[in-house]
Amino acid sequence: MGQFKKLLKSHEVSSFLFLVALILLVGCVNPSFLQPTSILNCFNDSVVFTLLAGGIAFVILTGEIDVSIGATLGISAAVGATLLRDGSNWMIAVLTALSIGAVVGLVNGLGVAVLNIPSLIFTLGVNGVVRGMIYVYTKGAWVENLPPAYTKLSNQPLVGQLTIFYGITLAGVIILHFVLTKTKKGKYFIAVGDNAAGANLVGIPAVQTKILAYVICGVFAAAAGMIYTSRIGFITPTAGNSYEMKAIAACVLGGISLSGGQGSLIGASIGAVIMSSISRILVFLGFSSDYDNTITGVLLITIVVINTVTQNKAILKNRHQILAARTAVKTGETERKGGLQQ
Amino acid sequence: MKKALKRWETVLFCILILEFVIFASANSKFLMPRVLFGSINDIIPTCIISLFVTFVMITGGIDIQAGSIVGLTSIVLGVSWQDWGLNIWAASLLAILVAALAGSISGYFVAYCGVQPMVVTLGGSFLFSGIALLVSNLSATESYKGISGFPESFVSLSKKKLFGVIPNQVIIFLALAVIAYILLHKTKYGRKIFLVGVNQNAAEYSGINSRLVILSTYVLSSISASIAGIVLTSYLGTAKSDIGATLTMPIITAVVLGGTLSTGGKGSALGTSLAAVVIGMLRFGLPLCFKVSQQYLDIPVGLILLIVVIGRSIANNPKVVAKFAKGRM
Repeated sequence: MGQFKKLLKSHEVSSFLFLVALILLVGCVNPSFLQPTSILNCFNDSVVFTLLAGGIAFVILTGEIDVSIGATLGISAAVGATLLRDGSNWMIAVLTALSIGAVVGLVNGLGVAVLNIPSLIFTLGVNGVVRGMIYVYTKGAWVENLPPAYTKLSNQPLVGQLTIFYGITLAGVIILHFVLTKTKKGKYFIAVGDNAAGANLVGIPAVQTKILAYVICGVFAAAAGMIYTSRIGFITPTAGNSYEMKAIAACVLGGISLSGGQGSLIGASIGAVIMSSISRILVFLGFSSDYDNTITGVLLITIVVINTVTQNKAILKNRHQILAARTAVKTGETERKGGLQQ
Repeated sequence: MKKALKRWETVLFCILILEFVIFASANSKFLMPRVLFGSINDIIPTCIISLFVTFVMITGGIDIQAGSIVGLTSIVLGVSWQDWGLNIWAASLLAILVAALAGSISGYFVAYCGVQPMVVTLGGSFLFSGIALLVSNLSATESYKGISGFPESFVSLSKKKLFGVIPNQVIIFLALAVIAYILLHKTKYGRKIFLVGVNQNAAEYSGINSRLVILSTYVLSSISASIAGIVLTSYLGTAKSDIGATLTMPIITAVVLGGTLSTGGKGSALGTSLAAVVIGMLRFGLPLCFKVSQQYLDIPVGLILLIVVIGRSIANNPKVVAKFAKGRM
């Protein structure tokens, strides 16, 4: 029972319940939403954001931020798509894209962890440079005419109507979730985010952990780029623009604290599903998709404010209890002492 | 610390002069007032907003919603003038009030609920750009077209020139820069902002209403965003809901390049304005004098930001870097 209560209180479970409630609520208004196809499509369509949010979750868990993932997605997609178009093996294209992501992540990690530069600022600079490099690489043109075999992949079902991309992504997220929560090395990420100095003192390599987090984040963004390529079928130089903000929002919706050390990958992927389903849900509710940003903003602010306020209240209550207990012990002691003297 | 600050502003000033010398020697057109001031419209919003985002960052916060407030201002101005029949100046005032309200909502959540500024203003950027889109739907004009046909007096706000040379926008920017400088460095309010940024608890204990101070910085930055929105609308001649969408990154770049610490407690109005002009001149000069395509301009701006922060980090603690290099070798 105690474990069950604990489970209920965890952020990813409350995010999941929120998602279920959202689906049921929309289902009440428009029952056709409750068909397995349309629910599964919510998941399938979230695959790019699931990858982005899952990657940036590593960085956010260590207490940093990465606003360059939109550009990383763009450049790896552009390079990968160009390779595919020019007829190279898809393995080579994907591996090249992933290694580009890893390099961008490594640069971010070195700047933030080794040089101690505030992560928002450093990754902002990297974002500008990488975004510019997309224009240099593509000369401002679209990358089109991709082999149909690759673009068809995005509709390839794995089981039933679950696409192969989402299936693999989901499996990866679940495996990494257990790596993060159950293995010693995996717990380093949360430990560093919770208290970097303390983690360092007990022998956790904080600098290396942060660098690794950025590399993982870059690789995830590149993977998202390759899936984006397959789904969209062409790459513009602005591909992935401002996706970083949406990925951060997805993490927050999934219960990850931006101050680090709190949250999970599963939470991030649920947040990504909520985030990318909003426009679909609006259509089912009969609203125009113009409400998309407004709803996202309201959701984001409401959830975060409620989270913070309840957390702060709990901290205050705890402090009061400790204080009350202390004074109770003290008055007890003085009374006893007084009794002895008499 | 003060000396270092002054030094940094001197460095920025030297970079600015260097830019002028290089660009002018590459293409003498660069120095023609008509050309030089003609470029000002592209950079003036960043310059104006970054001045007051500096306030927010000195308190240790961050404001990434300013760009969306520019769009919100523009569309509120347009819709209330065209569809609700307000006088254009009353419409401008209404737009400023709406922006101030938007800023105070975000500021309230940051200051009084203790939510992280980055998250609140991220939510705000979604929310206010969304509201701007909804407001544009209220109009009879389709949103992608934008509302145009503003009265002469409003359009001339950005067309008139003092002594026939200096455009009004420059004067608005200079006036705001002076206001920001006086507020930040010469008044009690400015001292409070710095103290709150250094240590909010200490500020609270010394009798400063630190929450109100934090809230006020968000309101100020939103008001500056709305002024930028009005100037931009007047220059473009059309009101659209998404005209500020790409401003966020340039604004933060300008503030950081100006020497403001993102952790709070340090920064200056002069530094920010110099940095904003440095970036602006770079974006203007490279295409004009070296035929660099507009699309590539993110690279030099990003590189400058990276070089500055890396240089500052190495200058502050050379030991850490040396140690790490040794460990790696």
